[in-house]
Amino acid sequence: MRYTEFTSYDLILLAQGLGVSVGLFLATSAIGLALGTLWAVARFYRVPVLSQALTLLAELLKNSPVLVQLFLVFFGLPAFARINVTPVEAALITLSLNTAAFVFVIAVSGIEAVGRDQIEAARVFGLTRWQVLRRVVGPQAVAFGIGPLIALLVNQLQVTSLISVIGITDLTKVGNILNLRTLKPFVVWSVVGLLYYGAAKLVAHLGARLETRLRAYNSWRGL
Amino acid sequence: MQLDLSVLLPHADVLWRGAFLSAEVCVLAIVGSTVLGALIAIARTASSRWLRALAYAYVDLFRNVPFLVQLFFLYYGLPEIGIYIDAFTTGVVALSISGGAFASDAIRSGILAIEPGILEAAEVSGLPRRVIFTRIVLPIALRTSVRPLGSVLVNLILTSSILSAITLNELTGTGRIVASDTFRPFEVYAVLLVAYAALTWAVSAGVNLLHRRLNRGMAQDVA
Repeated sequence: MRYTEFTSYDLILLAQGLGVSVGLFLATSAIGLALGTLWAVARFYRVPVLSQALTLLAELLKNSPVLVQLFLVFFGLPAFARINVTPVEAALITLSLNTAAFVFVIAVSGIEAVGRDQIEAARVFGLTRWQVLRRVVGPQAVAFGIGPLIALLVNQLQVTSLISVIGITDLTKVGNILNLRTLKPFVVWSVVGLLYYGAAKLVAHLGARLETRLRAYNSWRGL
Repeated sequence: MQLDLSVLLPHADVLWRGAFLSAEVCVLAIVGSTVLGALIAIARTASSRWLRALAYAYVDLFRNVPFLVQLFFLYYGLPEIGIYIDAFTTGVVALSISGGAFASDAIRSGILAIEPGILEAAEVSGLPRRVIFTRIVLPIALRTSVRPLGSVLVNLILTSSILSAITLNELTGTGRIVASDTFRPFEVYAVLLVAYAALTWAVSAGVNLLHRRLNRGMAQDVA
């Protein structure tokens, strides 16, 4: 029996793929955001050795292809450390670390964008280093970094398509399956592309709304 | 569990060939995406509303759909409409198209940064529009956008690793072959990671030098 025509079940398959892609995107973004912020805080506290090591790691992760990182974790780690890594674990580790590296850079430049004199003034008032970070630097750094951060997230959503190469049935993999079965590449890849496009636009739209809210403090309020 | 890089020595020439193919693809794609990016940037800053909308649609589409999906669309789709080209050409075309979308944004911001007075002076001098574009707008825009363009190109080099998914054996593709030949994936991919990072660092250092050389006349303003 040959199923060369599209069936209604294909829609469910596409929805499943989209769910896997979006789910992994949300999970890795959350972990990456937390991790990257933590790294930036470590740098803010000028932890010796650690902050230099983190900067080097972030540079290395930023300047190498995600595909190679993915292969390093998925094929390299099991062979090297003799541990089992499932495709989903490999994707979670790689994409989270990759996102964290970019978040780290954005957070560091956000922190550095806050004027030195503000920090000095806050310290003179007797705030502890944590209070300075929490009450003075943090909120401003978030407002500075939110724009690049949204751009990063839109990009990371597209990077999730690479995990199809190590065998996760995400949206791209579903597209591959449908393409090989129906041999209608234009229809299949247009639909897949459109779904990714819609998801990216949704992320950008939500991000823009968040940005206006976060930047409300210095927007024009009228007289 | 030990890092033994000497197992890669017998495969060094294969890896070199892959690296050479990567470089070839990247150089062609960099030229292609810069030319395409300049054309789209001109369209996006044109006075015609339709041309602007068309160029925006192009950039919006190719920035929000994963490169892997674009690649599969071309690789599987082109033979469907009777265009038979090999993986190498498909890769270069896909990279140029998607890189062009990102490059156009960098060049566009360079064009928008040009003072209106310069354009008015050129118009008053009676220069035809084509000459204004090729002799005045583009040189200034390309010069000011060298740095953002450089990061687009670095991204393009990293993206070229994805071409291994369409059977093009560039650096990542040969890495996969060597990894399965030697059963030492960790060593192979660790070397690839560092190689890509070194390459992109070199490229960004070169871009910085170029930026400083091209903008030497206005060091105080731009640097």
